[in-house]
Amino acid sequence: MASFFSSFFLLSILLTLTPILCTNSEGNALHALRSKFSDPKNVLQSWDPTLVNPCTWFHVTCDSNSHVIRLDLGNSNISGALGSELGELKHLQYLELYGNKIEGKIPKELGNLKNLISMDLYGNNFQGEIPKSFSKLKSLRFLRLNNNKLSGPIPRELTTLSNLKVFDVSNNNLCGTIPVDGPFTSFPIESFENNRLNGPELQGLVSYDFGC
Amino acid sequence: MGKMQNAIFLFILLISFLEASLGALSNDSFWLLKIKSQFTDPMGVLSNWSPGSNICTWNGLECSKDQTRVVGINLSNSGLSGSISPDISHLVSLQKIDLSMNFLTGMIPTELGNLQDLQELLLFSNYLTGFIPVEFRLLKKLQVLRIGDNLLTGELIETIGELTELRVLALAYCQFNGTIPSEIGKLKRLQSLHLQANSFSGIIPQELASCEELEDFAASNNNLEGEIPSSLGELRFLEILNLANNTLSGTIPPELSRLSRLRYLNLFGNRLTGELPLGIIQLPKLQNLDLSRNNLSGNISRFDFNGNNDLEALALSGNSFTGSFPEKLCTRNSKLRNVLLSVNRLSGDFPLALLNCSSLEVLDISDNEFENKIPSEIENLKNLTDLLLNNNSFSGGLPPEIGNLSNLVSLYLFGNMITGEIPAEIGKLQKLSVLYLYENQMSGNIPTELTNCSSLSEIDFFGNHITGVIPETIGKLKNLVFLQLRQNDLSGPVPLSLGYCKKLQTLSLGDNNLSGSLSKTFGYLSELTLLSLYNNSFEGPLPESLFLLKNLTIINISNNRFYGSIYPLLGSNLLLLLDVTNNSFSGPIPSELAMSKNLTRIRLAHNHLNGTIPSQFGQLTNLNFLDLSSNNFTGELPLELSNCNKISHFLVSNNQISGTVPQWLGTLKELGELDFSHNVFNGSLPKQVGDCSRLLKLSVNQNKLSGGIPEEIGNLTSLNVLKLQRNNLSGAIPRTLGGCKKLFELRLSENSLTGSIPPELGTLTELQVILDLSKNSLTGEIPVSLSNLVKLERLNLSSNELKGEVPEALGRLTSLHALNLSNNHLEGEIPTTFSRFPPNSFKYNDKLCGPPLTSCRESTRQEKKQLSNTAAAGIVVAIVFSATVICLYLIYLMLRIWCKWKQASISSDDNGGGEKAGKEEKWGDDHHRVIRSDEYWDLNKMTLLPCERSGKKDVSSMTTTCIFHHSMSRENSMRSLV
Repeated sequence: MASFFSSFFLLSILLTLTPILCTNSEGNALHALRSKFSDPKNVLQSWDPTLVNPCTWFHVTCDSNSHVIRLDLGNSNISGALGSELGELKHLQYLELYGNKIEGKIPKELGNLKNLISMDLYGNNFQGEIPKSFSKLKSLRFLRLNNNKLSGPIPRELTTLSNLKVFDVSNNNLCGTIPVDGPFTSFPIESFENNRLNGPELQGLVSYDFGC
Repeated sequence: MGKMQNAIFLFILLISFLEASLGALSNDSFWLLKIKSQFTDPMGVLSNWSPGSNICTWNGLECSKDQTRVVGINLSNSGLSGSISPDISHLVSLQKIDLSMNFLTGMIPTELGNLQDLQELLLFSNYLTGFIPVEFRLLKKLQVLRIGDNLLTGELIETIGELTELRVLALAYCQFNGTIPSEIGKLKRLQSLHLQANSFSGIIPQELASCEELEDFAASNNNLEGEIPSSLGELRFLEILNLANNTLSGTIPPELSRLSRLRYLNLFGNRLTGELPLGIIQLPKLQNLDLSRNNLSGNISRFDFNGNNDLEALALSGNSFTGSFPEKLCTRNSKLRNVLLSVNRLSGDFPLALLNCSSLEVLDISDNEFENKIPSEIENLKNLTDLLLNNNSFSGGLPPEIGNLSNLVSLYLFGNMITGEIPAEIGKLQKLSVLYLYENQMSGNIPTELTNCSSLSEIDFFGNHITGVIPETIGKLKNLVFLQLRQNDLSGPVPLSLGYCKKLQTLSLGDNNLSGSLSKTFGYLSELTLLSLYNNSFEGPLPESLFLLKNLTIINISNNRFYGSIYPLLGSNLLLLLDVTNNSFSGPIPSELAMSKNLTRIRLAHNHLNGTIPSQFGQLTNLNFLDLSSNNFTGELPLELSNCNKISHFLVSNNQISGTVPQWLGTLKELGELDFSHNVFNGSLPKQVGDCSRLLKLSVNQNKLSGGIPEEIGNLTSLNVLKLQRNNLSGAIPRTLGGCKKLFELRLSENSLTGSIPPELGTLTELQVILDLSKNSLTGEIPVSLSNLVKLERLNLSSNELKGEVPEALGRLTSLHALNLSNNHLEGEIPTTFSRFPPNSFKYNDKLCGPPLTSCRESTRQEKKQLSNTAAAGIVVAIVFSATVICLYLIYLMLRIWCKWKQASISSDDNGGGEKAGKEEKWGDDHHRVIRSDEYWDLNKMTLLPCERSGKKDVSSMTTTCIFHHSMSRENSMRSLV
């Protein structure tokens, strides 16, 4: 009985210590994102920044602590660019922005999304390089960047993403070589098609970024 | 006699002259009465304009010195309406007409052009329409033309240049358009030119520089474009230059620095670029300099204002200026009152140079990159009324000396990194009205002294780390309108005295640790429109006095521990938003809720509310969000809800709502999320659901639905989530489901679905979260098309009657990390890539084999026990034998080829090279070429020697190069695919 009470006591302490994090920084970040988008089909109509949090906005999914864990804007006819503010969505697990007309660079701040499981940016007009900061996405399992206008090399840093199961950069303008370490041992060649890649990286005491 | 004649002649002459002049006056009287007849004169200003009396005594008239002619009319500000009679042109001696500030309508009579002696024409501030008469060109003596603030339109024609006597041309606040004619340069006497607030377009003519006497040029609020002509620098008498709110571009001409008499320079709101010429800052007479909202740039730290004691206002906001604050801003005698430098990229510490500006009243350096501490010497700025330091990177504490700024009215410090406590000295600021400290890192308690600031009307401490309680004495702030303490660490109850802040309109205390129950003094806050207490630990029933708050529009008290009835919240019929989610409210929903006809959001989820959903909700035609989930509601959905056709979220899950899923759902065209799950709905899912074309999430799982899945669901082309699991749905999965191309979650499990899995499901290529068809009675084979679901992470087909083999292509589902095919009649070999799943994924099937289950050979052997051991041994021997023969033949072939090649080629291998070396060079041929095209190959020769050679030298480099060869082979194979 005493142990029951003490464990109850501990539990209640734990419960009070759990912070109720309901800042609307995530809502602000999403609203900032919206302001950079052109949205002809009005899919972002419900994104009302005056609400306490963005959890009732369409295409946004929250967990039970009102943290945004999914952003589903695939095939939504959106154009515009992404900004650094997306990096504020620290709890995001699924970033689904595929099949739009988003252009500009992929912000390096996306590397701050430590809980990200899936990043689907395929089928847009993204330019510039794949950010090296993606190497911080330790939970990332699915990274689909195919069918964009990305250039530059495949960052070697991505070889440290031990959970990466799917990696698709086909149909871009990437150059250099394909990493062969870490998860890259298992990706099929189709994931690298239609680039200016020079085949797999040569191992040894040699520079990585040749031909780029 | 001659004298007599002379005298008579003179007399006659005199009489006739008198007669003539009297006749002229009586003539004027005739016309004046005609002019009067066109006016409406409610104030009776013209009452003494009557026949018979001497017109020189009439109000508003001026006669010539010899009393013979009317030379002036002044009826300014006389309340006259009506129109200006053309007969005014008969008063041919008129020199001055002033009809300004009346209510006159109609056009300016063209006949005015006949008044050859007219020197001043003042018609401003009326409602005159039409154009400037062309005939005005005849008014050769005109010196002052002021006709602004009317409804006049048309262009300023070039004949204006003929009025060479003009000193004042004022056309502001009309609807003139077209360009400013270059002929304006002919007006050599012009001193004032007022063109502001019209629709003039085109450029500013450089000929304007010929108006040598110009003192005052205002053309703000037009559509002027192009550059500011540098020739304006020649206007040496110019004191006022106002070109604000145009679309002027280019740089500010340095020639403007020659305008040594310039007092006022306003170029606000243009598209000017480049740096600000330093000479302009040093103009000795300059009092007001406003260059805000342009694209000006450059470092301002070298700006030197010290030669300039008259400067009163400096406004450079909304540009791209950089650098730190100018050191030389104020001398001892400085008159500087306003410094507005917001929205630039200024950096550095708080500008100490400002502390000399003791006359400063308004300081706005918000939205810059200033950093570090706010100095305590800020107390030197005794005259400061408005201090705006928001949206910078100021850190450190707020100095207590701020309490000595006794004139301070507004203090904006939000959006910085200010730490420490709110100084108690702020309580000395008796004039302080607005205190915005939000979005900083401030901690400590709210000082009780703050409640001495009797003028405070707005307090915003949102987003700090403030602890302790809300001061007991908060009720002393009788002028408080806005109180936001949201998102801090405040604890304790809301003080009773808050009820005495009777002007309070906004009370936002959400996201704190506040507790206790609300006191009945809340009922005094009759002006309150917003009540936000969410995410606290408030408890108890709501005081009944809350019902007295008739102006409430927004209530959010979610995530507390309130209990009892929600009735006290419903006194206002102006509610727009009501959120009581996650409390312990009980009882039925009072029908009074529907009195607020403009309600858009109702959120009552996670309480203990019961009863039925009131039919009065049907009156809420603006309702867009209705969340009644997780309560104890019973009964059926009232038909009246079908009137709420703007509803986008319709959430009633986890209740005991019964009846059928209504057909009228199809009329809710805005519906995006429908969640009826965990209720006791029965009957079939109506086909009208397919009409909700904007639906994104459809959840009717865990009910008692029966019948088939309507084919019309395939019309929901936006649908992301479809959850129909755990019902009694029967029949086949409709093939039309393939139309829901945006589905990423599909659950049909635990129903009584029959038939085969439609191959169309394979077109749902965005399926990601799960495809769950388990626990049905599905038959047939697994369609190969499912192998297209490359994003799918979980697939559950378990507990059906599926047969046949698992399609090999399904192995391509590389995203899959949970798979359940158990409890079917599947057979054959499991795709090799599925070996990563546990055996449980495949158990209870008829004849599945291969990893992770037993290998197919084993199972085959078990299958065909009749095959004798000797027969098996014979087969093995036969295989081994034939394999050996083939191998030997191949080796023979290769040796022959190699010999031929050896003869034909010149050896490049200085150590001769054996069979192995030759072979390697051959298969390496292709990519050696590729690699050699790259420079690093040469740079790294040392480590990239061929295997054999390095093998002779040392072991470590051999390892390296062998790995290299290994990866080359992979490269080769990949290149062939690229």
